[in-house]
Amino acid sequence: MDIYLPIAEVSVNAPLLVALGAAVGFVSGLFGIGGGFLMAPVLVFMGVPPAVAVASQANHVVASSASSVIAYGRQRAVDYKMGAVMAAGGVVGAFLGVEFFRWLRLLGQADLVVSLSYLVFLGAVGALMLVESLHAVLRRRRGEPPRRPAERRPVWLYSLPFKQRFPRSRLYVSVIPPAALGALAGVLSAIMGVGGGFILVPAMVYLLRMRASVVVGTSLFQIIVTTAVTTVLQAGRNQTVDILLSGLLLFGGVVGAQLGARASGRFRADELRALLGLIVLLVGIQMGLSLFVPPAEPFAFAPGPAR
Amino acid sequence: MIPAAVPPDAPAVSAALTETEVEVSSDFRGARIVLYGAVFDPGEAPVDVVVVVRGPEQTVRLVRKMRVAGVWLNSRPVVFEGAPGFYQASSTRALSRVADFGTLRRLGVGVDHLKIDAPEESRTETRYGIKDVVVSRLGEDYLDWRRAVIRLKERERLYSVDPKGVRFVDRGLFRAEVDLPADAPTGTYRTEVWLFQDGEPVSVRRRNLTVEKVGIERAVYEFAHRRPWLYGVVSVLVAALSGWAASRLFRRS
Repeated sequence: MDIYLPIAEVSVNAPLLVALGAAVGFVSGLFGIGGGFLMAPVLVFMGVPPAVAVASQANHVVASSASSVIAYGRQRAVDYKMGAVMAAGGVVGAFLGVEFFRWLRLLGQADLVVSLSYLVFLGAVGALMLVESLHAVLRRRRGEPPRRPAERRPVWLYSLPFKQRFPRSRLYVSVIPPAALGALAGVLSAIMGVGGGFILVPAMVYLLRMRASVVVGTSLFQIIVTTAVTTVLQAGRNQTVDILLSGLLLFGGVVGAQLGARASGRFRADELRALLGLIVLLVGIQMGLSLFVPPAEPFAFAPGPAR
Repeated sequence: MIPAAVPPDAPAVSAALTETEVEVSSDFRGARIVLYGAVFDPGEAPVDVVVVVRGPEQTVRLVRKMRVAGVWLNSRPVVFEGAPGFYQASSTRALSRVADFGTLRRLGVGVDHLKIDAPEESRTETRYGIKDVVVSRLGEDYLDWRRAVIRLKERERLYSVDPKGVRFVDRGLFRAEVDLPADAPTGTYRTEVWLFQDGEPVSVRRRNLTVEKVGIERAVYEFAHRRPWLYGVVSVLVAALSGWAASRLFRRS
């Protein structure tokens, strides 16, 4: 059952899109990430122009994140105050990112930067997560007590001005680091079409040392705001949001996200992190490979406006 | 319509499309349009028919992958103009046997004779005492670039040449098919039906074909391009609402 997408201007298989949305939604609910980094490569493989894929899936991330945030909010696992600070940074980042992406498309270097960002960010984050969580799993198997997080928090992080209390996260910290993290996620959201959860979650755990139980819900909350802004900007500036495409994806996505959020309770946190690290690393390597493999066709059409 | 005034002894061609409007709706997966035509030839000399379909012109940007320090990077994009969004040339036999190179080039018949060029790359200068020599900044690679535009379009099934695409089904009556893939651009397509005799074009008929989005596809496309900001806000609201609805549904169950 094929359906013609009005903005992407291609014909794709509709049930396949719904299934893809459901699978990515499940991963999203399970790990508390947007899951966009999984979807963009698959959509491009199905023939959707990369610019439309990136912009439309940002809208899908809004839906699946909204669906899981409500589930997390019921368990009081969202720090709205921290999320709002990060989202403020995210909005600024999204503005910069959309303009940067526009400029890259004009230069014909958009796909290079997308591949590079996937390789660098996903590769690094995935490898770190995998190593750390495998250590934790091994410790538990050997019956050793889990390593206590270092008590000494990074000094520079806590000597910054504009300190605020974040009761739910049990933190008293400057607003600068969370806002900067949010801004980084916003830029990535525009360039890679991702929510940035794969970078926010580890950063919130290891850098900000937030209470683990609120990390996932808070990251999803900030992702909603960032991707919503990105969607509006991409639609307004580049006209690359395909509402039919994102509709099909989110139809499966919201259901998958609910199932994922429920399933997350059944797994151990360190095993989940190891699995996520592995997926992130593989996707990063797969996208990055395109930079090193000699292309079969030396020429390609550059997407984007002609002038 | 009154037929063009031609001397009664000159051969002439006439043609019609079975469809002149192609509607792109949600189940659009490409279209096949049949063209019928007739040759009025008082003489007995053999004739050739060539059917050329040209989609709306699009400016394309092309990059070339280059290896820099082990990594494959894109070159700066080169803008090519004059490339139709769709091009199909069907004929009764190979174009090179229908007419000579010069004639085909003059008429723009055949993918090799499309007037695709990169005006921003070229400048005119005086060389060896000859004025107005066109020099391209792409140098000797220019033909590689130009050929790549055609090759990439052919790969997307947007350009095609079929030397057996026009078949005579009865005396003087011929038939050709126009195959539009699902990603064919929307707009006005110009169809030319050429009649060749002894390598010279003796008659031509032009027909237009429009490809346009209809129904919800058109509504969405126009909304997205006329009110892009509102469209973006509506997209986000739809997404947020469906996320909320799903979580409500799941709490009950």
